Amino acid sequence: MKRLAIYGMMAEFDTTSDLVAAARRTHEAGYRKIDAYSPFPVEGLADEMGFHKNAVPLVVLVGGVLGAISGYLLQYWISAVTYPINVGGRPYNSWPAFIVVTFETTILFAGLAAVLGMLALNGLPMPYHPVFNVPRFAFATRDRFFLIIFSSDPKYETAGTRVFLESLKPRSISEVPS
Amino acid sequence: MSGPRVNNADLLAPPVVQTIQQRSLVVGVVFAVMSIIGLLIRPGEFFPAYLLGFMAWLGVTLGCLAILMLQHMTGGAWGLVIRRILEAGTRTLPLMALLFIPLLFGMPKLYVWARASEVARDQHLQELTRAYLNFSGFLGRAIVYFAIWAVLAYLLNRWSDAQDNAALPDNTHRFRALSGPGLVLYAFCMSFAAIDWAMSLSPHWISTIYPLIFLVGQVLSALGFVVAIETILSRYKPMSELLKPDHVHDHGKLILTFVMLWAYFSFSQWLIIWAGNLPEEISWFVRRLNGGWGFVGLFLAAFHFAVPFVFLLSRQFKRNLPTLMWLAVWLMFMRVVDLFWMIEPTFHEQLRVTVWDIVVPVAIGGFWLTFFFRNLKGRPLLPLYDPHSREILEPAHE
Repeated sequence: MKRLAIYGMMAEFDTTSDLVAAARRTHEAGYRKIDAYSPFPVEGLADEMGFHKNAVPLVVLVGGVLGAISGYLLQYWISAVTYPINVGGRPYNSWPAFIVVTFETTILFAGLAAVLGMLALNGLPMPYHPVFNVPRFAFATRDRFFLIIFSSDPKYETAGTRVFLESLKPRSISEVPS
Repeated sequence: MSGPRVNNADLLAPPVVQTIQQRSLVVGVVFAVMSIIGLLIRPGEFFPAYLLGFMAWLGVTLGCLAILMLQHMTGGAWGLVIRRILEAGTRTLPLMALLFIPLLFGMPKLYVWARASEVARDQHLQELTRAYLNFSGFLGRAIVYFAIWAVLAYLLNRWSDAQDNAALPDNTHRFRALSGPGLVLYAFCMSFAAIDWAMSLSPHWISTIYPLIFLVGQVLSALGFVVAIETILSRYKPMSELLKPDHVHDHGKLILTFVMLWAYFSFSQWLIIWAGNLPEEISWFVRRLNGGWGFVGLFLAAFHFAVPFVFLLSRQFKRNLPTLMWLAVWLMFMRVVDLFWMIEPTFHEQLRVTVWDIVVPVAIGGFWLTFFFRNLKGRPLLPLYDPHSREILEPAHE
């Protein structure tokens, strides 16, 4: 991705409802590459921003299916192929007894896939992030709410975007250097 | 009662409820007449079907009671928005108590321990009938179960009705104080009831997890029923304005939870008994996995668990009421199939579905629904003066 001199334009709001309303209007105005920051989860915010799906659920599903297959095959291989033992006349491939461990490996693999997939897709750990170039952004962990329009958005242009953000009546507007 | 009550016509159930109530009554009466014919010409087939229908619809009543107490304990908009539906469901309890009486007359047809000739031949049955499984014990315990359920349902409904009177002081804390112990009492009573009414069909067989399958199944029946009802109501005011996708999502998540819990309990019972392979335990499964009953068992594994589970994994599916409704109704049907698979093989070695297995549950359902819709009309669909109702009437972030 090519590095732009300006990362984006950030607006600061006092309340969650201001942020949600601003997110809605930004999305309605046609901006798509936007993000919002708040000290706690805000209900409805993701929907107003035009919540888009990511690939994490698919990664988890694949992890779970792989866990189920490998857990079952491991037990099958031990009990029916390499070291078959007759337990009370039951078949070597005793599937009811294998289900418990199969279930556990399904959960294990799905859980690991969720964590690793999330990290792989969101780019964490991230030692440097441009939003911290704005000093006021420190308030995002306390009692302020921030909305950013990235400069990679096709509609982004320095003057017009600033005029638009001002129309949302934010507390402050900052240009975020890369 | 004095003071301003919520008589807000905007919050009452829509007129369509009246129409469904009348149709339910017609279905109930027609099928009841057919059921009586069944009782006269085939009493041996009628009573197992009656037990099936009774257990299926009792499950919806008591499932509503359990979810009602659960939502009083947890709080949350998902519970408040369906609270009046659940309460109307619990007020069908008098009907179910009345419908219990025919079971007393069917006991010799249903339970081997109630037939003196067979008890005389079996020493184990003699010990059981002396200590526990006898007519007076069966009746006495049933009175205790229904009395406890009735007290819980009565108090929760009365306090909820009092909430509609703005002049009365806030009584919200009482719901929680009752619901905690109430859930424990419900679980104990229903466990004993499942042993008395269903497990004692095979008096030589015991399974400690068996009553839990009934508990989970009842909650699942009720959840399916509530989703079906909220689908109908959400086409009209006021429910069209109250019910949000987030609530439906929560109901979908609960259905997924209880589908998995049902599978967990059912599978655990099978795994433990299969692994033990003891003659007095495995016989219950040998009967239910042979003579065609095995297909019903496979059908349950596939369509009571696997297929609903895969659908319910999807977020979009759980948030979309019209599609979730079909799954909810399907699961209500599968609850009946599960009860059928537990009850009916006692009476026939080969798989068979009698006409009465369909007619009698439909007859009971017709009356049950008539009663339910009559209850639903009686009160506003939202407890407006509940302190948490604000959360439903206003967007979450304001």
